[in-house]
Amino acid sequence: MAPRREVIVPSVRTLDAGSSFGQAVSTVVRGGDFLFVCGLSAVDARSGERVRGTTASETRQILINLKQLLEAAGSSLDKVVKVNVLLHSMLEAPNMNEVYASFFPDPPPARTVCGARLPDGAKVIIECTALA
Amino acid sequence: MRDVVAAPSSGLDLRQHYGHHQSPAIRAGGLIFCSGMLPVDSETGERRHGTLTSEAHVIFGNLKLLLESAGSSLDRLVQVHALIYDSIEYDVLNRVYRQYVANGPPARTVWAAQIEAGFKVELDVIAAA
Repeated sequence: MAPRREVIVPSVRTLDAGSSFGQAVSTVVRGGDFLFVCGLSAVDARSGERVRGTTASETRQILINLKQLLEAAGSSLDKVVKVNVLLHSMLEAPNMNEVYASFFPDPPPARTVCGARLPDGAKVIIECTALA
Repeated sequence: MRDVVAAPSSGLDLRQHYGHHQSPAIRAGGLIFCSGMLPVDSETGERRHGTLTSEAHVIFGNLKLLLESAGSSLDRLVQVHALIYDSIEYDVLNRVYRQYVANGPPARTVWAAQIEAGFKVELDVIAAA
């Protein structure tokens, strides 16, 4: 039997990157034993609107949404294996790290952080791979 | 199952040395997901700034230690993201990189990014366990 591949549409529609912003992207895709979550920027789950804040506040909003997305897909932050964090500036890495540490278990997942030019004025984008 | 791969030597524990909230690597589903590998001294954790080439040598040394401690190896790399500080050094990266992935190199993507502490290169990899 071929390994499972399934697009998991978020039950909270405002967190569905594709339908909210009209992009050709699925928010969560299962492949084999893993869930792949698309790069998330800060969105208010109630309104579906982009939130523009500090690196710390955007990180917090993204991780609140990520937690909800993973749990709705039957996974959780405890089952995350790898996180990639993109920041608008690496000078902000400590501000991200402090908020980040309050969301993830101990021991935390593997992680890579880098600075990049992000679309749409985002200060933070976070993508992750989790066990399904 | 999600297993933490502990740092094989003290210098590779970036959480201990720099407070990064991350494990060195996680083993799950037959794969090993490594945190971004940086040119730090494997014993002391001191930053080993240098040329892109010298930094890459340090990183591959660290990656070899980490993967082999987890029962894997550089020959079992599946995917590599090579972040470099400036794409003008792409050719320099390629020259050092090929020395370490002689047999059936992994899938790879290279791009320019801002790397922590002003390093010139960082490797973000997945290997088969």
